[in-house]
Amino acid sequence: MEIKQKLTSLLHSRIFQIIIFGLAILVILPVIITDNFFLYVLTLICIFSIYAASWNFLANSGQGSLGHAAFLGLGGFSSALIGTSISNGINGLLGTVIMPIGALSVTIQILVLIVGGLISAGIGFLIGLACVRLKAWYLAMVTFGFSVIASTLSSQFDAITNGINGFAPTTLVPRGFPFYILVLSFTVTSIAVMYLIMKSRTGLAFRAIHGNEEEAKMIGINTAKYKLIAFVISTFFAGIAGGLNVYFLRFVDNSIFAPANSFLPLIMSVIGGLGTVIGPIIGSVFWVSIQQILALPSVADYLHSSLGGFFPGLSNVGPPISLIAIGIIIVVIVIFEPKGLVALLQKVYNYIMLKTKSKAEIKPK
Amino acid sequence: MQKKILAIIAVVIIVIAAVAVYQLTPKAPSAEARNIKIGLVAPLSTSIGQDMSKAAQMAAQEINDAGGIWVAEWNTYAKIEIVNADTIDDSPANAKPPVIRAVETDNVDMLIGGYGSAGTLANQQVAIDNKVPYIITGASNQLVTRRGPQGNYGGFGPNGPNSISDAEGMSYMFHYCTTTYHYSKTVVDFFAEEMKPLVAAERNFRLAIIYRNDAFGTGVEEATKYWIQNQSLPIDLVADRAYDPATTNYQTDLTAVKASNPDAVFVVDNPDKTPLVISQGWNDVGLKSVYIAVENNQDPVFYTLLGETGTGHLLESKLDPFMNPSYLPAVGEYSQKFYTTYGVMPGMMGADTYDAFYIAKDAIERAGTIEKSAVKEALEDTNMDQMLIMTRTGKIQFSTGIDYHEIDPVTFIEQLYWDEADNRLKSRIVWPESAPGVGNLKQADFTLPPGYQAGQP
Amino acid sequence: MDITAPTIMLTLIWGLAIGCIYILLATGLNIIFGVMKLVNFAHGQLLMISAYLSWTISVSAGLNAYAAILVSMVIVAFIGILVERLTFRRVLGTDKLNEIFVSLGLIYIFENIAMLIWGTNSLQIPSPLSGLNLYFSGVSITYDRVVAVFVVIAALIAFGLLIKKTKIGLAMRATSQIKNTAMLMGINVEKIYMITFALGAALAAVAGGLYGIIFSFNYQVGAMPTIIAFAIIILGGLGSIKGAIVGGLLYGITEQLATLFINGTWGSAVAFALLIVVLIIRPHGIFGEKGE
Repeated sequence: MEIKQKLTSLLHSRIFQIIIFGLAILVILPVIITDNFFLYVLTLICIFSIYAASWNFLANSGQGSLGHAAFLGLGGFSSALIGTSISNGINGLLGTVIMPIGALSVTIQILVLIVGGLISAGIGFLIGLACVRLKAWYLAMVTFGFSVIASTLSSQFDAITNGINGFAPTTLVPRGFPFYILVLSFTVTSIAVMYLIMKSRTGLAFRAIHGNEEEAKMIGINTAKYKLIAFVISTFFAGIAGGLNVYFLRFVDNSIFAPANSFLPLIMSVIGGLGTVIGPIIGSVFWVSIQQILALPSVADYLHSSLGGFFPGLSNVGPPISLIAIGIIIVVIVIFEPKGLVALLQKVYNYIMLKTKSKAEIKPK
Repeated sequence: MQKKILAIIAVVIIVIAAVAVYQLTPKAPSAEARNIKIGLVAPLSTSIGQDMSKAAQMAAQEINDAGGIWVAEWNTYAKIEIVNADTIDDSPANAKPPVIRAVETDNVDMLIGGYGSAGTLANQQVAIDNKVPYIITGASNQLVTRRGPQGNYGGFGPNGPNSISDAEGMSYMFHYCTTTYHYSKTVVDFFAEEMKPLVAAERNFRLAIIYRNDAFGTGVEEATKYWIQNQSLPIDLVADRAYDPATTNYQTDLTAVKASNPDAVFVVDNPDKTPLVISQGWNDVGLKSVYIAVENNQDPVFYTLLGETGTGHLLESKLDPFMNPSYLPAVGEYSQKFYTTYGVMPGMMGADTYDAFYIAKDAIERAGTIEKSAVKEALEDTNMDQMLIMTRTGKIQFSTGIDYHEIDPVTFIEQLYWDEADNRLKSRIVWPESAPGVGNLKQADFTLPPGYQAGQP
Repeated sequence: MDITAPTIMLTLIWGLAIGCIYILLATGLNIIFGVMKLVNFAHGQLLMISAYLSWTISVSAGLNAYAAILVSMVIVAFIGILVERLTFRRVLGTDKLNEIFVSLGLIYIFENIAMLIWGTNSLQIPSPLSGLNLYFSGVSITYDRVVAVFVVIAALIAFGLLIKKTKIGLAMRATSQIKNTAMLMGINVEKIYMITFALGAALAAVAGGLYGIIFSFNYQVGAMPTIIAFAIIILGGLGSIKGAIVGGLLYGITEQLATLFINGTWGSAVAFALLIVVLIIRPHGIFGEKGE
C-alpha cells in the first residue's frame, strides 16, 4: 500500500515529469540532429556523467579519492580484455570474422561491462579495506599511489594487458546511435541507483560520516562498514564508466591511468555542484562542451587571429586560453559558490520565479 | 560519286573543326568546384604539433599561391583549405574527437598528420571507417599501415590486440614516415659495420639500450633486438633497461648500464629527455661511452639542451634541417624559407607533413577528382621524385611490392660536434657513404669522442 | 649484471641527491600546512614558474644562474602572497576538499600562463659550473649537484633558525599550535599566514631554480614533483619538518633501490607501495600526530 502510494506520488511529482521529459529529449535529439560529432559529444557527456557521479558518491561519504583513474582503467581494461576474448572465441566457433549483431551480442556487451565494473569493485574493496582508518589527505594519497601502481602493473604485464601499445577491443554494439542508446541506458540506471542509495538509510549514514565521523560512530553507525560500502559502489560505477569509455573510443592503453583522468571527475563535480545528483552531470556537460567548443576550428581561428599576435611562440593559443578560463572558473566557483553551477542555476531560477510572481501579483491591482 | 566523297570529306572536316573548337574554347569551371579541405591531425599544444602546423601552412600557401590544385573534373584550380584537428596531447581520448569532427562534420577530403602512435592508432579508425585517405606523417609505429589483412595484421593474426579486419578501409592509410624498424636497423647496421672494427675488432660489439617505457621506447627496443637476431649481427645486448617516462633521474639505471661495460649506449627518448640521459650518463655517472639517439631528437631543443656535452655522440636521422649548406639542396631551401616565414628553425616532423601536401596535390591532379576512392588509387600509384625525405629508389612510392602503404626511406647516422666559432652544437653525416638521387652523403669520418672508454667483456 | 657494493653505494648517493630537491619542496608545503592547515597542490607550479624566471633572468640579464635564483625567489614569494590573498584565504576554514579544488584551478592557470609566455619547448638554465665534476673514491658528481645539496642544507638551516630564533618564527609556531589563542595574544594571524605562504613559495622557488639547472623543464614540470613532495610529507607525517626530511630520503632511496634491483619503471610504484604500507600501519605517517 505504502509503496503504491509512493509510486503514485512519484509519478505525479514535478521532478519525475522533468526527468521523463529530459530523457525523451536525450533520445530524440540525436535523431533530429544527425551529426555524428554531436552524437559523439553527447555520448562522451553521458560516460563522464557516470564517472563524475561515482566520484561524487564517494565524496558524499567523506572520502576524497585522487586516484579514481585506477578504477576507470581497471574497468576499462578488464571489460575490454574479456569482451575481446569472448568475441574472438565466438568467431572461432562460428568461423566468421565479424560477429553477428543482435540480441546476443548486446547481452554479451552489457554483461562484459558489468563484469568489468565488478572486477573494479573487487579491487576497490581491497583498497577500501586498507583505507578505512585513513582520512582526508592520507586517503587521497593512498588512492593516488594506487593509480601509479596500477599504471606500472599494466605496463609491466604487457603480455596480458597490451597496456603499452594499447589495443582496440571488438565492439559488440554498432557505433553511433545504438551505442549511444546503450550508454544512455547505463547512465540513467547508474545515476538512478546511486540516487536511490543516497536517499536510503545507507545514504543517511554516508552523510553522517561526511558530517563528522566521530559523531557518526557515537550514534552507533558502523563507519568502517559504510565507508567500505561507499568505496565498493563508487569503484563499481567508475569501472562501468571505464568499460563504456574504452568500447566507445575503441582503444585503451595505460594512459587511461594518468593523473589527469583522476582529477577529471573531481573538477566536474566541483563545477557542477558537490554532493548533488545533478551536479556531476552538469559538470560534465559544461566541461565536455567548453572543451569541444573551444576546439572548434572557427573558434580557435578567431581566438588565434585576435590574440595570437601577443604570443608569437605558439601557433594556436586556443587550448591554453581555454584552460586558463577553466582554471579561473574553478577558483571562482569554489570561492563564491561552493555548491557549484547547480546552486547558481537554482538562484537564477528562483530570481526569475520571484520576478514573474511579483509581476503576477502586481497585475490585479 | 565524287559529290559523295566531297560530302564525306566536308562532314569529316566539319566534325574535326567542331571538336577542335570545342576543345579550344575555355570551358567554364564546374559549379561543384570548391576548396579542397585537408584535415591536419596534430597536437597543436606541443612543439612538434606547432612544427607540423607551420609546415602544413607553408605548403598550402605555396600550392595556393601557385594557383592551387588542378581538378580536371571541375575544370578549374581549387585552393587548399586546412582544417585543424587538434589532438591536444595525443592521448587516445583526446586524439579521436577532433578527427571525428573533421571527417564527419567538416567532411574533409583527406587527412594528413598523426603524431603519437597511440593517438594515431585510435584516431585512424575514424578514417578507416569512413574511407578517407590518411597520409600519416608522424607516428613511427608500423602498425598504422600493417594492422590490416594486407599487412598480415602486423604479425599478430586477425585476433591480435590491434588488428583490423577491414581491408578496404585499411587501404586508405598511407605511411609517409620512417618506422621504428627503419631506424633501429640503421643503428645496429652502423655499429656492426662502422664502429665495431674500431673498438671491438676481435670480439662481439657490446651494446646497451636504455629506453622510456612506452609504445615508442619498447617499439625501438623490440626492433633493435629483432634486427640483431634477424641479421645475425656480431652484437651482444649487454644491458636492456626501461624507465618510467615521467622520471628525470636516470643515474641509477645508468650506473647499472655502466656496470655492464658497453661499447655504445642506445638512448630512446624524446628531445626534452634524451639530453638529460646523455649528460647524466657522461657527467654524473662517468659512463664515458658513445651515446646514440634516434631521429625524433632532430629538434633544436635536443641540440640546445645537450650543449657541449654532445660532442662526439651520435644521432640517427632521416632529415637534418639545421645544416648550412645542406646535404640536400631542397632541405636547405625549406629550412631557409621556414626560418624567414616563422622566425624559428623547422623540426623534422614538419618536413614529412610538408611533403605530404605535395603528395596529396599530385594524387588529386592525377585522379582528376577529389572523390576519395579515386584519390586513394592515385596515391597508390604515386611515383614522384623524392622531396625532403630521401628514399632508397629516389622516388616517392607507396606499395612497392607490398600491399600496405609504406615508403622505403633512407636514414643516416650523424655525429655531433661543438662549433667553437658559432658556440653551438652541430652535426654532420658520417654514415652511409651515399644515397640514391643525392649521391655522396657522408660529410666526415666517424671518430670516437674524446675521453671514450671502450667496453670490455 | 653483478650488483656490487660500489654500485649500491652509488645508488644511495643518487637517492640522496634526488631526495634533496624534493625535501625543499616538501618543507615548503609542510610549513604552509603546519601553520595554515592547508595543502597547496599547486606548489609544484611555483617551482615551475621559478625555473622559468631564473632562466629568463640568467639568460636575458646575463646574471649568474645561482644569483638569478635569489631574484626569482623574491618574485615567487610575492606571487605566493598574491595567491594566498586572492584565493586560499577565502576558502580557509571551509570544507577541506575546497583547497584541493582551488589548487587544481591554480594548476591550470599557472601552467597555461607559462605556456603562453614561454612556449612549449623544454629549457635548461645554463650553469656557470657546467662540465665541472667532483671526484672522490671512484665516484664523480657534477658540481651543480654538490652545490644543490649544500644550498638545500643551507636553506633548511636558515629556515630552522627563522622558526626557532626569531619573533616571527615564534608567532608562526604559536599560530600552528592554537590559532585562536595566538589571535587573543595579539598575533596578527592574517599577517603570519601571509609570511608563511611567502616563505613556502620562496622555498619552492629555490627548489625550482636548482631543478632548472640540473634538469630540463617545460610548463608541465610542476605536477610530478608536487605529488612526490606531497607523498613525502604524508609519509613523514603532515606538519612535521623532521618527517619531511626523513620521508624525502626514504622516498629517494627506495625509488633508486627499486630501480636498481627491479628496473626503472618500478621506481615510483615501489615508493608508493611503501607509502601505502606505512599508512596502513601508521595512519598519520611516521612522525605525524593524530588529529590532522
